[in-house]
Amino acid sequence: MVKTIFEDIKNSIKGIEINEVSYAERGYHLAVEATKGNLLNIIGLLDKKRFYIADMCCVDYVEYLEIVYLFNNHSSLCRIKVSLKVDPERPVAPTISHIYTMAHWYEREIHEFFGVYFEGHDKLIYLFLHDGIDFYPLRKQRVSVPAEDLKLLNSFKPREEEDTFFVNLGPQHPSTHGVLRVVIKMDGEYVISADPVLGYLHRMHEKMAENRTYQQFLPNPARMDYPGALMFNLAHVAAVEKLCGIEVPERAQYIRTITCELNRVASHLLWIGAFLADLGGLTPFLYAFDDRENILDILEAVTGSRLTYCYFRFGGLYNDVDDNFVSETKKFVKRMRERLIMYDKLITKNVIFINRVKGIGTIKQDMVPKYGCSGPTIRSTGIPFDMRTHEPYAAYDKIDFEIPTGTVGDNMDRYTVRLSEMAICLDIIEKAIAKLPSGPINAEKVPKKLKPPKGDIYHAVESTRGETGVYIVSDESDKPYRMRWRVPSFSNLMTFPALAKGSLIADAIATMGSFDLVIPEIDR
Amino acid sequence: MNELKCIISIIGEETTRAVIGLVGVMILVVVNALILTWAERKVAGHMQRRIAAKEVGPFGLIQPIADSLKLLCKELITPHHVERPLFYLAPTLIFLPVLVSFVVIPFDAYLQVKDINVGILVILAFSSLSVLSILIAGWGSNNKYSLIGSIRSVAQNIAYEIPLLLSLLPIIIIAQSFSLRDIVEAQKGLWFVVYQPFAFLIFFTASVAETNRTPFDLPEAESELVAGFHTEYSGMRFALFFLAEYTNIFIVSAIATTFFLGGYNGPILPGIIWFFIKTYFLVFVILWMRWTFPRVRFDQLLNLSWKILIPVALVNLIVTGGILKL
Repeated sequence: MVKTIFEDIKNSIKGIEINEVSYAERGYHLAVEATKGNLLNIIGLLDKKRFYIADMCCVDYVEYLEIVYLFNNHSSLCRIKVSLKVDPERPVAPTISHIYTMAHWYEREIHEFFGVYFEGHDKLIYLFLHDGIDFYPLRKQRVSVPAEDLKLLNSFKPREEEDTFFVNLGPQHPSTHGVLRVVIKMDGEYVISADPVLGYLHRMHEKMAENRTYQQFLPNPARMDYPGALMFNLAHVAAVEKLCGIEVPERAQYIRTITCELNRVASHLLWIGAFLADLGGLTPFLYAFDDRENILDILEAVTGSRLTYCYFRFGGLYNDVDDNFVSETKKFVKRMRERLIMYDKLITKNVIFINRVKGIGTIKQDMVPKYGCSGPTIRSTGIPFDMRTHEPYAAYDKIDFEIPTGTVGDNMDRYTVRLSEMAICLDIIEKAIAKLPSGPINAEKVPKKLKPPKGDIYHAVESTRGETGVYIVSDESDKPYRMRWRVPSFSNLMTFPALAKGSLIADAIATMGSFDLVIPEIDR
Repeated sequence: MNELKCIISIIGEETTRAVIGLVGVMILVVVNALILTWAERKVAGHMQRRIAAKEVGPFGLIQPIADSLKLLCKELITPHHVERPLFYLAPTLIFLPVLVSFVVIPFDAYLQVKDINVGILVILAFSSLSVLSILIAGWGSNNKYSLIGSIRSVAQNIAYEIPLLLSLLPIIIIAQSFSLRDIVEAQKGLWFVVYQPFAFLIFFTASVAETNRTPFDLPEAESELVAGFHTEYSGMRFALFFLAEYTNIFIVSAIATTFFLGGYNGPILPGIIWFFIKTYFLVFVILWMRWTFPRVRFDQLLNLSWKILIPVALVNLIVTGGILKL
């Protein structure tokens, strides 16, 4: 795959700078240096080859701004980094939002944090910073926002037309699970258009990372994704380990796998409760919390916290698991298997539930690469794409497991995929515990002050909601030069405007619930 | 005793009956609401493997009183953008039709405020009025969520009035009377639920929809419309909506008992006890449904009424009429 796409790009675009790089060191296979002239050709070619947009970010190297486009393929692993250098004085780049829909929001994000203008972008207004800020926060030097751009703050003014009205779903609304606001234009009970408004939980974790050492940033990822904190923790730790070349002992890898899977089950349980509450059934919420409580107790004993874990360390773990953890986990797995049957009886076979979710909010397979959806959202469409098998990390390559997929990609499929994923998580936990080796849990010789070599790296893990990637640029200091988080909920959420169009408000809310949105993760 | 008779003779027997009846009904309404708030919390709690209220009084029995005291003490907030007359009128208006319905329900053989010979028509006519006050509440609140909620409520109530009436007509044909007392007396032998199982199911489904309870609680669907038509209400005005809802649940259960489950008929125990046992059993079923089922969608709700319940009820009515004619 890597070879063919390398040849394809080289042959079809003349004078292109394309290099194969060491995947083990960089986390991507090909580095393409684009210019403003040939960027759209490259992106168009990748679109034709059905590459999906993994991430898009910007790095300020002071002499120039580099816009980084990360692509990958669902069928076989082939990560491509396309970079475009722009002038920091007058940063202008062509938009790719007409090719990849998701780029629309990534470009808005880059625009407000770096001041890059995207030519041809139809709605370059602020996405996160509604309170107003008069400089570009992620630039290394202070650059003031031009006066005419400041007007773009809060420039969203809904205009009511005849027979339609606007409803602000959120930021305080029972069904938005946090502080997401969706401006919905409605005609009676039907949704005409939906526009997510983000930024109510924006805490600028990416800027925080630039001001902290790698160790100091350890607790932050858990605050982005509170129900699946361990997996975000792992994404950060594993990326830094890859960057520094730290070998993690096998026992630590297995424990990472077990705890992550426990956390995934807990997160899915929370989702099932919240999803059913969206549909009006309140009892499953309490049932799910009952089971989740067991997991939290188990994890509390080893990690020391119940929600926002900070358990993994560079090269290993905070502390080792004991026999009690193993026996409690085994007990939980046994109990949870019975409970899954109960959930099946209580929810899956309920006629009202089936009527509410079947055929609603269908994501088509060809929509997926345009948005870069991942996690259960993509698996529901029938694509068996899971970072655990696609790009194995921790001990996932030593354990056999299936990837459950749906068929049509509607809300029902997203529900069944998550339910069967829980069963598979239990299998993984059981197999990993059986194989759990003895030995040290921390790598030897991890320096107190991590100073990774110069360069960049992209590392992704499968969090509960999908591909969670970290793109780190290191400048040999003990703090990251730039740390970018690719979060799955962001790209999953942005399919919502397309799915909600023309549906009933009740269905739109069911669809929004089915994505398992975690707002702090989107807002970062 | 003589003095009492004297007073009665002065103000007239009918008026005395009405005054006593009204006071009795008021007490019943309040006590029923207290019992149901407690029961709903307890049923919900035990279905969700919680203990529910237990701190205030034994088994938390005093909890509803504490709750109502709290609601009484709360400030009545009137948002500045509401239509004041309508906003104030709605909570009061929702309560009146509910009270009237109690007049004709026979609690025991001789315990009825007034046996009107068109009793069932009185109940149906007045219960249709409650939708008006929901509409007033939704419109007067001047809030988009409230408006959508009340529009849903109107569509829902109109759709479910029809199967409600159609499912009661076969009973009237069998008993050959509109009077509730006569209908109960006609069930001395076998309950009408045996003759009319379909009518019972249709009536029960439609009455759950009429009371806006899950799975048909669309006018107040909290995950979609925050709180529906009573989003803007607080304090005692909010409590009145709740009181009306619980009284409505009681009334539909009482009507179902009267029409299908033999009313106060039953062995050994006095009639009034049987009446309350049957009624509260149906109330429990309604609570049970609420804590088990998710909510249906709006179009599914209307389809259920127009495409399934009404045709089945019509066929049932024709078949019943045909059999009786033969």
